[in-house]
Amino acid sequence: MSAIELRDVRRVFHTTTGTLRRKAKEVVALDGLSLEVAEGELFGLLGPNGAGKTTTIKILTTLLIPTSGTASVVGLDVVRDAAEVRRRIGFVFGGERGLYYRLSGRDNLRYFAELYAVPPREIGPRVEELVELVGLKDRVDERVEGYSRGMKQRLHLARTLLHRPRVIFLDEPTIGLDPIGARELRRIVSELHQGGATIILTTHYLFEADQLCQRIGVIDKGRLVALGTPSDLKANVSDLSVVELEVFGVDATSLDRLRGLDFVDSVVVEQRELRQLLRVQTRIADRAVAPLIAALGAADVGRVTVREATLEDAYVRLVGRLE
Amino acid sequence: MRHALRIVWMAAEVQARELAVSGFMLFAAVFQPFFIGVTAMFMLRHRPDFDPVYVIVGTALTGLWSTLLFSGSGVINHERWMGTLELLAASPTSLFLIFSGKLIGTLVFSLLSLVLSYAIGALLFGYDVTIADPLGFVVSMLFALVSLWALGMLFAPLGILWRTVGRFLTGIEYPVYALAGFLFPILLLPVWSIPISYALSPYWAAEALHGASRGELDLAGLARTWLFLAITGAVAIVAAYRLFGVVLVRARRAGTLALS
Repeated sequence: MSAIELRDVRRVFHTTTGTLRRKAKEVVALDGLSLEVAEGELFGLLGPNGAGKTTTIKILTTLLIPTSGTASVVGLDVVRDAAEVRRRIGFVFGGERGLYYRLSGRDNLRYFAELYAVPPREIGPRVEELVELVGLKDRVDERVEGYSRGMKQRLHLARTLLHRPRVIFLDEPTIGLDPIGARELRRIVSELHQGGATIILTTHYLFEADQLCQRIGVIDKGRLVALGTPSDLKANVSDLSVVELEVFGVDATSLDRLRGLDFVDSVVVEQRELRQLLRVQTRIADRAVAPLIAALGAADVGRVTVREATLEDAYVRLVGRLE
Repeated sequence: MRHALRIVWMAAEVQARELAVSGFMLFAAVFQPFFIGVTAMFMLRHRPDFDPVYVIVGTALTGLWSTLLFSGSGVINHERWMGTLELLAASPTSLFLIFSGKLIGTLVFSLLSLVLSYAIGALLFGYDVTIADPLGFVVSMLFALVSLWALGMLFAPLGILWRTVGRFLTGIEYPVYALAGFLFPILLLPVWSIPISYALSPYWAAEALHGASRGELDLAGLARTWLFLAITGAVAIVAAYRLFGVVLVRARRAGTLALS
């Protein structure tokens, strides 16, 4: 039995724009998404903003009803058997909200333990065990309002694990964390997976997905555009190299010229303060450098490096852009 | 059953602790009743028929009502703003049970206004604030609290399902002071408004508490007010139960459990 199964799931949101002349607007968040995740798997869900990652997670956590199609978690339908699904899942949504700031970390955990029907005698030891796991032992009796972002995120993780869920959904759990906090959280996620939990992780950090996930699904515009192991996805770009050019003052015309070169597969521009970092995917590696610099015209070119394509490059190729 | 009681207890505790540090709710439960009580005492104390206990009970009722009205109509939105509504909705516990506890916490917190009202009468103005029928008063208070709690439970989903109704709810604070006869008898109001008063549980709460505190109602009279409190409370809680179910399904359809 799959831990998670989505069959042709479509989700449409209806919104309105304007004040006096209101216009109805339809936004298709998921457009026939089908996906299966095996029990015990650590599965990564990648995609640009608005691709449908969070909508997928919210449907699976019973917070949204699909417009059409079916979704199930551990064999239970998320619409028909919502109450049973809720007993078996835990989830963390990225960000600092979702906690009672005026209560201590321990009181937050005690409250949610009651809501998840953890037997009263087990609540104390379970809370102790989890605050130890997430490294909050010394601060758990302080009010949450004084916690750092990383501490709040670790408290969220502890809250998620209170009732020993079979399936854990982590929606961008490391967003906004400092590198050490994020590394610590990844360590905990890895430990949970080794303990047998099925984990669905959405993230914007490709190296994170590469490091943690056994399989990755890439969604864009509500559709699954790629599915496989990180190695499978990287194999899609094994014929490509990436030339990174640090430039100052590149204009749109030069970029169009670059994109028009027949050996250029894609160009991604990342703004870094006054500079831009151009990531050019190409099949001809070293031989591409000189024509690329020439195509940039008057722009000042700084450091140039050539490297092998990574999972991030595979992702860029799949979704055609980088957020 | 024991689990349900534990949930209600925890939710009530969390709510009371949240309210205790909320400036707005402290205004509704403490500062506003203080100003109402003191003003009423100064305005009425030279009248020959002045009864300080009437003002004290009326002042306490304004605090109870305002706290319950604002907390009830805003409790779901407050959870949504904090980002906890999704967590509550995705837990195996019913939202109705959780919010039942939260509004019990609100009621306990709102009793501050009762303590404060007695302090104003007894300590600030030095009146003898003896309750004529203490047992009747305690039973009336229990009926009043349960009935007002049921009304608060009805307000909670109403404000979410229909935003216009939510806005309307916050506007009925002062009209209900008058229609329920908190600080003066409803006989002073136009005749056409009397049936409206009879349909409101705050009116029956005021009738029972004023009646017991002044010894004006015998057991039969008190039992009548308790019956009406029970009926208005039962109607409100049945409607609330149905609406809570609708709220969750609608929010899951529309995707409005979170702010974004």
